[in-house]
Amino acid sequence: MNFILSALKETNAKYGMFHSFTEKTDSGDAKFLFSAKDNLTSYDMETCAGSRILTGYRPPFDATAIAKMRAAGGMLIGKTNMDEFGFGTFSVNSAYEIPLNPYDRERACGGSSGGSACAAAVIEDHVSLGVSTGGSISCPASFCGVYGIAPTYGRVSRFGLIDYGNSLDKIGVLSAKARDLRTYTKIIAGKDERDPTSCMQPPLIDVAVDVKSIAVPKEGTEGLSKDVESAFFNAVEALKSAGIDVDIVQMPSLKYAIPAYYVLATSEASTNLARYVGMRYGMQNGDLSLKFDDYFSSVRSKGFGDEAKRRILLGTFTRMVGYRDRYYAKARQVRQLVIDEYKKVLSTHDLILTPTMPFVAPRFDDIEKMSALDSYKADYLTVPPNLTGMPHVSVPCGYDGKGMPVGMQFVADHWCENSLFSVAEQWETMFDRRPA
Amino acid sequence: MKHLKTHSQIVISLLPIPKSRNQMDRQTVEKVARSAHIALTDEEMDRYSRDLEEILGYFEMLDDAPDIDSRTIDPIGVADVMRDDSPSTNIDADILLTDMNTYERYVRGPRLL
Repeated sequence: MNFILSALKETNAKYGMFHSFTEKTDSGDAKFLFSAKDNLTSYDMETCAGSRILTGYRPPFDATAIAKMRAAGGMLIGKTNMDEFGFGTFSVNSAYEIPLNPYDRERACGGSSGGSACAAAVIEDHVSLGVSTGGSISCPASFCGVYGIAPTYGRVSRFGLIDYGNSLDKIGVLSAKARDLRTYTKIIAGKDERDPTSCMQPPLIDVAVDVKSIAVPKEGTEGLSKDVESAFFNAVEALKSAGIDVDIVQMPSLKYAIPAYYVLATSEASTNLARYVGMRYGMQNGDLSLKFDDYFSSVRSKGFGDEAKRRILLGTFTRMVGYRDRYYAKARQVRQLVIDEYKKVLSTHDLILTPTMPFVAPRFDDIEKMSALDSYKADYLTVPPNLTGMPHVSVPCGYDGKGMPVGMQFVADHWCENSLFSVAEQWETMFDRRPA
Repeated sequence: MKHLKTHSQIVISLLPIPKSRNQMDRQTVEKVARSAHIALTDEEMDRYSRDLEEILGYFEMLDDAPDIDSRTIDPIGVADVMRDDSPSTNIDADILLTDMNTYERYVRGPRLL
């Protein structure tokens, strides 16, 4: 086991993927090294979730996923940079460092688990824990050219995860090696009484299966950049050559997924973030002479970043009397509609496949030109499976003319992670991944 | 030099355009912000009013989605997951108080009156 803290800090100076590091200088008898997104609590490192309002928060406990990795012999080497509370597609909405893409440092890593994807790409033999709410594992995995899995909702305990949207959050794994997805998901998965949604799961099966048929929704192949389209359809041809049937199908409900997701996610986020009031943890340096409500407003206004405020306002509005039925109640109906459509397609196919993102990692100067709505719309391929709670994996499937990675995303039915592990492992033998 | 559209801009321009605009005016933003305990500057008020109007305009497409009889909250079935009602302490209170702003073991907060 080769771990030198100074070397890790040198790598970080180049890419900015870590928010904090272990204080240990060697790996001792650790069996493997791992990092974790900074919205997973760790007793030995600060946990800020990319937010100023949590500055100085040192949790007294480990998230279950981190505790399980340590119990399996893992050494947590650092916590990775991310969009504030997971609010973003490019890991640029942060009070701390913005991770730089391992293939071109003028481009984003993707979000919101950008630091984790970057660490998986540039550190040898490394695995990183990420969290997905609406695509925050698939997107950065695609932009950084690595493998990433978001398991079925409830497969991994959310205890110790700083909530974004409770009904959507999923902890998963990113690595440069497909095999690691199976190995480490098995470690972090399982029932945990401290998260009731983790208690109803069937066990993970550890025997590879043959994937025989894949559905490609027509709606998922529209609006792609030329490079992504070309890499994706080349990959589809390679899958066909490997004997897998590929059918083009229609999934008309996908067009409603973005508004439904952002209504539900921001509604949940706005209630979750009500707990940050400048007392008990994180920022506690407010002016205590202020009146009761003014104190909270003052701390929250200083502590939350631009996108966090936008999502709190949006989520508060869509839950307000007079608007609740139009937005929140309708979004819940659409969620079921999307689930039903996925279930129908998956009753006749093993997996559903689309590109992961419609374009390669954008440059930071192009991201600055995007409006908030522009960046929300960029998630139109990753949001639908997240809305369904179904497991999905992003795998690298090609490169554009400048060498930037392109990813594709497989989705399986609830609890069918084994099909995803199997197809990712099969794909790894067929695809020549270029290291960063 | 003529500005060339990036890939992301091209993709976004292909997505559906909102039909009409909601009225997310400054007064509404102010009301929502007060409810959410966020104090906004004038500049923020204008900016969020503009952003949220655009976002809610896009969300109008939800009106066109078919109505179905569903009250889904969790995407998977969650039932019979109650644990035994036995009291226990995982973390000592003294440890929790370590990083808190306290006075004689009471958490400090703003005055009520």
